[in-house]
Amino acid sequence: MTLPTTPTPEGYHHHEWWPRLVSFVAKILCSAAAAVALVMLFLILGYMVWKGISGLHWSFFTHLPLQEPMGMRNCIVGTLLLAGIASLIGVPIGMLCGIYLAEYAPRGWSTQGIRLTLDVLAGTPTILFGVVVYQIMVVRPQNFNGWVGHLSLWSHRVQSWMGITNGYSGWAGGLALALIMVPIIARTTEEMLRMVPLAHREASAGLGASKAETLWRVVIPSAKAGIITGIMLAIARVAGETAPLFFTAFGNDAMVYNPNRQTPSLTEQIYNYSQSDDPHWRAQAWTASLVLVSMVLVFSAAVRIATRKRRIRTR
Amino acid sequence: MAAIFTVAKQRAGDFPVRIIHGFCLQCTRKMMSNPTPRNSPASAFSPWHRLFRSVLDRLTVGLSISGVVMMLGILLLIFAVLLNGAWMAIGQIGWKFFTTATWNPVPGMDQYGVLSFAYGTAVTTIIALLLAVPLSIGCAVFITRIAPQWLAGPVSFLVELLAAIPSVVYGLWGAFVMSPWLQTHIELWMWKATRNIRLIPIGYYPGHRREYFPANLVHGGPSGSDYLAGGLILTIMILPIITAITRDVLQQFPEELEQGAYGLGATWWQTTRLALTYCRVGIFGAAVLGMARAIGETMAVVMVIGNTDRVSSSLFAGGQTMAGVFVNEFLEADHPIYLSAMMYVALTLLISALLTNIAARVLLNRISTV
Repeated sequence: MTLPTTPTPEGYHHHEWWPRLVSFVAKILCSAAAAVALVMLFLILGYMVWKGISGLHWSFFTHLPLQEPMGMRNCIVGTLLLAGIASLIGVPIGMLCGIYLAEYAPRGWSTQGIRLTLDVLAGTPTILFGVVVYQIMVVRPQNFNGWVGHLSLWSHRVQSWMGITNGYSGWAGGLALALIMVPIIARTTEEMLRMVPLAHREASAGLGASKAETLWRVVIPSAKAGIITGIMLAIARVAGETAPLFFTAFGNDAMVYNPNRQTPSLTEQIYNYSQSDDPHWRAQAWTASLVLVSMVLVFSAAVRIATRKRRIRTR
Repeated sequence: MAAIFTVAKQRAGDFPVRIIHGFCLQCTRKMMSNPTPRNSPASAFSPWHRLFRSVLDRLTVGLSISGVVMMLGILLLIFAVLLNGAWMAIGQIGWKFFTTATWNPVPGMDQYGVLSFAYGTAVTTIIALLLAVPLSIGCAVFITRIAPQWLAGPVSFLVELLAAIPSVVYGLWGAFVMSPWLQTHIELWMWKATRNIRLIPIGYYPGHRREYFPANLVHGGPSGSDYLAGGLILTIMILPIITAITRDVLQQFPEELEQGAYGLGATWWQTTRLALTYCRVGIFGAAVLGMARAIGETMAVVMVIGNTDRVSSSLFAGGQTMAGVFVNEFLEADHPIYLSAMMYVALTLLISALLTNIAARVLLNRISTV
């Protein structure tokens, strides 16, 4: 008499229950990790909306911090001003860097070094940019020596020529933010230029265009959408920066249109309000967060969605 | 203007052909070239165009190189300014700066050491990495290997959205939502569970209370604003970057290996483990990059960590980080040696962030070249 054997079910390879259980549990745990990340996102955004929406009123956008219905008009304008100055300085330098890396850089140690420098610059703690700009532009050059001292001296001469009396100014804040923007924009520009097909360049060269003509008339127009996306994301990133602004733009309760003066920003005002015990000021911090995050998220999400399909125009 | 153009036109038209010896920018070899065909009779372009083109060529090269020089100058400037500012402190304090945990900026009593801040940075970073790396790997595995197509995109997008939230908003949420909840729930439970467990005796320093290992971690009781809170807020902040890179690396796992593993009878988890092992260098690089982010993060940590100058082995004690001390004290540094010591801290922070970043890049570049 033979023992009855269990036939293997069709398409069923795992007889042992233990590996299957482990696999099942691992799947559950990985899904749980993703769920935790999403729950954190919704907790932060949800709480911010819940606390901030009650203070969202027209007066928030039209009044100043010391007026009776409190508002943050000056901070919104100041953030835009700082981001504008930062892009004015940071975008050209970053784009030129990206153009060099994508088009002109030879293969070799020097280019590797430049790439590494960009990566290191992108990973430098942002507060250090604030410290450096503070040392050059804000603090009076007293115990400075060497060429750094001369730089500081000259920056103060230029500043007094520009009419900046106080060391803290929108220009200093914008410069600190610009230094943060440079590596981000350089890497995006390089990536986008590299994605343009070689055939386009060859066709352009075949028609008699020189390298620079090809670059400005063929390559950059095709990569325009991607480069603009990168610039927008960099602006969104620096609009959320706080730490470097403490030592450079410093903040202001008045309305500021002239970057020669101390310039307020949403992020800094959020920090200042969060350190106070006054519930009105704390509520104001939540509302400011809501406005800032809406600005940043809507901006970057819109840019991402608009250019998700084709970053590079191939036809 | 017209005169300039006339002269330029003559120059462009009349000069004999010059062969330019130069370095080819593509292959780094010395070569002979005539970048713009000037006097060629076959040229279909007008002299104006030829002039414009030669100017454009030179201008583009020159400008792009000057952009790179400016970028390199920024890093040089950061180093020079920090070194210049820290010079006095380096001379007066020297290496003792890294072995001293005292920070006493009272004029006349000046005692400066970076150890307490470095300890805060290290503890928060380690907590963040211990929590964020498994979470991120789980997220990345979910996105690449579990979620159906319609779900993977949105989940990936939402996790990346975490990176777009400004750090001061994390700080605000951490200080007013996370810290109180942490104090009344998580830390209270941890404290109740651990305070009486004394396994390994540590801390034989003279004049100090004797401490024991698990109990010392919760010494002082739940406070809410402490190293643990700093580590937790950092966890959320570095999650998106580690997830994004791990996801990209896991997508490089070859289809043949996956099919081969399944063909040999491996379960889903065994195949995933194979993928994780295959991509281990990239995942390690992602973790190191997350570590670099955690070291440099300022605002969110400053708002939840409590900002005290003491060093305690307890996770429930307040502390400071190297980046955070600038928000608290930099503008109050009123005498030269104080300011110089602050710059010394900045230099330490820069070098630690720089080394971590270079390590991460070396690891990640090794992946992309394979």
